[in-house]
Amino acid sequence: MTGLAIDDAAWSSAWRRRAPGDKLLLCLGLTVCALALPAWPGSLLVGLTAVVLALGPARVPARTFGRAVRLPLAFIVVGALTAVVEVGSGGVGWAPDAGARAGSLIGHAVAGSAAVLLLATTTPMSDLLPELRRLRVPEAVVEVASVVYRLLFVLLESLRTIREAQTARMGYSSLRRSYRSSGALAAAVLTRSWDRARRMQEGLAGRGMETGLRVLPEVLPSSRSFLAVSVLGLAGIVTVGLVVP
Amino acid sequence: MHIAEGFLPPAHAIGWTVAAAPFVVHGARAVAREVRENPESTLLLGAAGAFTFVLSAIKLPSVTGSSSHPTGTGAGAILFRPPVMALLGTVVLLFQALLLAHGGLTTLGANAFSMAIVGPWAGYGAYRLTRGLGGGLLPGVFAGMAVADLATYVTTSLQLALAFPDASSGFAGAAVKFLGVFAITQIPLAIGEGLLGVLLFRVLTVNARPELERLGVLKS
Repeated sequence: MTGLAIDDAAWSSAWRRRAPGDKLLLCLGLTVCALALPAWPGSLLVGLTAVVLALGPARVPARTFGRAVRLPLAFIVVGALTAVVEVGSGGVGWAPDAGARAGSLIGHAVAGSAAVLLLATTTPMSDLLPELRRLRVPEAVVEVASVVYRLLFVLLESLRTIREAQTARMGYSSLRRSYRSSGALAAAVLTRSWDRARRMQEGLAGRGMETGLRVLPEVLPSSRSFLAVSVLGLAGIVTVGLVVP
Repeated sequence: MHIAEGFLPPAHAIGWTVAAAPFVVHGARAVAREVRENPESTLLLGAAGAFTFVLSAIKLPSVTGSSSHPTGTGAGAILFRPPVMALLGTVVLLFQALLLAHGGLTTLGANAFSMAIVGPWAGYGAYRLTRGLGGGLLPGVFAGMAVADLATYVTTSLQLALAFPDASSGFAGAAVKFLGVFAITQIPLAIGEGLLGVLLFRVLTVNARPELERLGVLKS
């Protein structure tokens, strides 16, 4: 348990042992399809594929997946409704094809979110970050991002503990106190992060590792059949998505 | 609030990614140079990124009873300068997209442009301006963090207005709509983030003075 439901799901997913490159190809392919194909039937196909794959072969808990898909919904719905409201000289009203446009926007966004979520719930960040090296992202940046990933759970834990202690001492009983507590909380987390970084640095330096923590990347073999099925499936979605409308 | 995955049309998603790229590459170069010169700064930069991520998990108490989250990039820009925040902010956005389902991959460029580039630069500008005009550290921090928060949402609204111009009144009408929904509602929260910044830096000047002096925020 790390405290972030999506990360927990990624570590315990049945696809955890699949090569990150394979999963990237499938999920980015789905994401691009969700964006580029017409909403009917493209978004529906992509969304269904992502949900079926996540809940079926990847065995992501339905509760986690459902919750995570719901998170961006508030933005998607408010954004789509705002986009189809018309502001003219006669005041505010619905644009002529409001229903269809809002539906298409929501379809694209929900399908895209589900496709990204398929990647997020099956691949831990520590598997994805080494893939960035292949995209020619500088070594130093990948290192910094890896440290962010390793530290953020420690800091989230500190955040929770401190907030619990503050709440128990009536730290959030009024607006004024809430602000004071939040400020102290942010300051405590920042100084702790510095302290952690300094201690880790000293520990590494003491072991002669002055350029940071080097770990052997786990080699997860790529599967030809997985890649073949992914490419065929994506081709199928593109064909149906372009032919049916 | 970030633009969700799949929400922007493909041309806009690509356009914003291209627009954000030079800033992020510049930030990456700055980070790579910093790490080459001082290898120990890898961990400090990582800590800064993790702090920015965690700061967005602190609930901002608001008058209406609901609560929202600070963007956190204003504090980062004041502490670590905007070029570094362009990279750290983008890394944090990638993490938010993949760990919190907040934002997206094809909209990463657009979100990076508003939250990791415009927000930090506007906030840092307001901070320097306030300090240059004789305001002390805390008024500077208030201005910097409030402006960074608000500038992020104004940029997001304008990005949405560009992508979805109004059928009859075009970009201007759409800008009014999106600013009304996403930016005006943000004003109290921007003030809240500014206040949080003041409280944060007030504690830091007592508890972490040497670090603030090393970062150049306070004169030694």
